[in-house]
Amino acid sequence: MRKYLAVLRGQMMRGLAYRSGFFISIVGNLVFIGVLYFLWRSVYSGRDQINGLTFDQTLLYVALGSTVFILLKTHVDWVMSFEIREGAVVIYLIKPVDYQMVMLTFSAGSSLLAAVIVTAPTIALLVWGLGIGWPIGVGTALAPLALILAFLISFCFDYSVGLSGFYTESMWGLGIVKDTLVVVLSGALIPLQFFPESLREILLWLPFQAVYHVPLMMITQPDRPLGVQLTALGVQVLWAVALFGLTRLFYSRAIRVLRIAGG
Amino acid sequence: MKRLREYIRLYFLIEAQYIKARLHYRADFFITSVGMVISSLATITVFWVLFDSITALAGWSFEEMVFIYGFYLIAISPMQIFFDHIWQLRFEVEDGRFIKYYFRPLNMMFYYMSEMFDIKGVVQLVVGIVLLIYASANLALSWTFGQILLLIAVLVGGALVQISLVVMAASTAFWIIDSWPVLSLTWKMREMAPYPMTIFSGAFRILFTFVIPVGFIAFYPSTLILRPGDVPMVAYFAPVIGLTTFALMYWVWSRGVNSYSGTGS
Amino acid sequence: MALIHTEDLSKHFKILNRRQGLAGSVRDLFSRDYRTVRAVDGVSFDIEPGEIVGYIGPNGAGKSTTIKMMTGILKPTSGTILVNGQVPYENRIRQARTMGVVFGQRSQLWWELPVIESFRILKEIYGVDQQSFDKQMAMFDSLVGIGELYSQQVRTLSLGQRMLCDITAAFLHNPSVVFLDEPTIGLDVSIKAKIRSLIEELNRAHNTTIILTTHDLGDVEALSRRLIIIDKGTILYDGSTEKVSDLVGSYRTLKVQLSQQDGGNLNDGVRDRFGEDDGVSVQPEEDGWTAITIDQGRVPLSDVLNHVMTTSQVADVRIEEISMESVVKRIYDGALR
Repeated sequence: MRKYLAVLRGQMMRGLAYRSGFFISIVGNLVFIGVLYFLWRSVYSGRDQINGLTFDQTLLYVALGSTVFILLKTHVDWVMSFEIREGAVVIYLIKPVDYQMVMLTFSAGSSLLAAVIVTAPTIALLVWGLGIGWPIGVGTALAPLALILAFLISFCFDYSVGLSGFYTESMWGLGIVKDTLVVVLSGALIPLQFFPESLREILLWLPFQAVYHVPLMMITQPDRPLGVQLTALGVQVLWAVALFGLTRLFYSRAIRVLRIAGG
Repeated sequence: MKRLREYIRLYFLIEAQYIKARLHYRADFFITSVGMVISSLATITVFWVLFDSITALAGWSFEEMVFIYGFYLIAISPMQIFFDHIWQLRFEVEDGRFIKYYFRPLNMMFYYMSEMFDIKGVVQLVVGIVLLIYASANLALSWTFGQILLLIAVLVGGALVQISLVVMAASTAFWIIDSWPVLSLTWKMREMAPYPMTIFSGAFRILFTFVIPVGFIAFYPSTLILRPGDVPMVAYFAPVIGLTTFALMYWVWSRGVNSYSGTGS
Repeated sequence: MALIHTEDLSKHFKILNRRQGLAGSVRDLFSRDYRTVRAVDGVSFDIEPGEIVGYIGPNGAGKSTTIKMMTGILKPTSGTILVNGQVPYENRIRQARTMGVVFGQRSQLWWELPVIESFRILKEIYGVDQQSFDKQMAMFDSLVGIGELYSQQVRTLSLGQRMLCDITAAFLHNPSVVFLDEPTIGLDVSIKAKIRSLIEELNRAHNTTIILTTHDLGDVEALSRRLIIIDKGTILYDGSTEKVSDLVGSYRTLKVQLSQQDGGNLNDGVRDRFGEDDGVSVQPEEDGWTAITIDQGRVPLSDVLNHVMTTSQVADVRIEEISMESVVKRIYDGALR
């Protein structure tokens, strides 16, 4: 356990070294939130509620969506594709560490750092700059847990794309499909309430909404009935467990490819 | 003029070879193309969902938004096709590889461009054209010869703006070590390009119109075609903006190239 | 008329003196403090057509800077430079047509394309007509069998094969001067020999002037009759290679590592037995080794080795040829006068 914590700490420190990268993420995110503000104000122009959501609720939702996107951005797929291509992955296979755990702590480190650095100015902008009401409720307390689960699920997607590096060189294509599907179908860019009824029903069954929709709803509508919120968490847990299991299976298959082909 | 023709001929020769080599990897070509199509359609999907609940965005209908978005894809595709390797520039500058561009009897920007021909950029172009045609059919736009010329002119202008912004940002690598943030931020700004600039007010409108003129990549030029009777003043400057940003970019690039003398002695 | 003529050529760079710490960085933004680096300082030489000249010196000596001026990339701070009767930096592109360049460290060919396509592209770039092209290709094929490599992608070639292709590419358009930078680096002995004879043959066939920059003294000895040594921006030596290789050939460096138990003083012991006048000098190195440089013309290596082995507890021993830096130092100290 200690060795994984060491990796986590190391990654956080490394992240600090790339200060300018963080600075850009923050500035970029703030500008983007500004754009979202204008965009949605235009969408709402005058209307009080659309699809049951007020302007404040929607803006908070999408603004946090873009912020969470930065937090969840693990570079695991790129790191893995590089390591697999260069053969460096062999180093991990020799050591007594679990490769998936290493990748997980590695990305958790940078996400944790991002969480601390990026969210503060974002919240400041939303609450004080734009005067958006921030509701507090039970959901607010559950939200961090939901975010951790969201991270785990998102990690599994990235990790799977990374593993595909054992089979193909087309990382870019797979990565971009994953990114697009997750972002569009998860309700990150636009709350699921906006989707037509039939489509929404389907999307709620998919793991993508567990990454964005669940935590974002918890934050923007924290006083929904407790039962509803706990169910949502439960769904996240189920997906996290299922995907973790699948990725482990995928990994053992992929490693076999390496062992047979000789890397 | 003769030089220009020679350059074009040379360019086709080099890229033909390059494309042949790339197409060899069939599976990769397929996956990459599918990826490009899907990601290009993401924003349109979001618009489609959005317009389920509203009828117009800042006065623009869904079909008009599709038109602007198709225009956007076409305008950014040359950047993708010819300059996808611009992200590597700072590495080449840093470890001295860049010096190789000085030794051939070729214009350096041409030589640099010739090293890249990104096929997925062509896919992006095709998606853009399809969306443009779809939108224009639904909007019943009339295409006179003059209109088509105008379209091509503003597309070229928009493409030049996109290329110029990105290459200028990347060229900072000639002077500063940590140039990645500049390039990354400039790249992110272009995501605002498919949106109607009229939704912005104040500082933001100025930002996207004059400071980092992404408004001229797709929106302002599109208004010239979509609503010729109701054009914001700035839009008339679209072709000029394209040329001036390109000139500025070339100047910055040349300064960078002249100041760079490689590492080591 | 000399092919390359330089007279009192200088290139000075203004380097920013970066101040320390955060406060320093902020000050740097407002007032900049420069120092002048004299990369090349008053260099003069004439190179005739057809010569193969070795152009060597320690790292940082000014080699690349001179070459960049000869190729028109850099503009001199002062002095004259003429290549083929023209001023190189006035027109980089015109200059590039008459030259060829080979970088040992990295290829100038198109990485993803088959070798022959790179050659064809170069043919178009340099405007070589079909007949000359075919003749050149045939010659290269007969010399080193380059034909076998035509259809392979450049990135799949071995280092030696890639080097052969890069050299072919440099000579393809029959330039008047070719710059070879580390052409045999990382290659094994047999390939090195092949490349050296290729270069010799090309020089003979077309009377191409060749400037060879390398750290491999073997290359220099094998190929160039004339040697120019540059150090700290000035020319240290400009004369026959033979004289220098006589000097180099006679020196050996004996490196000794003493075991823990040895309490004695190796340095003094050697100095007492063999003096500086005998051509033996001792230099302790940071990593715990001691370097003893021996002029075999005066004292046999075996004598020194014997002495060391009998008077000290030796853990490890290495024998090396003299380094470039040592050669330069020796010449500086007057070894050639």
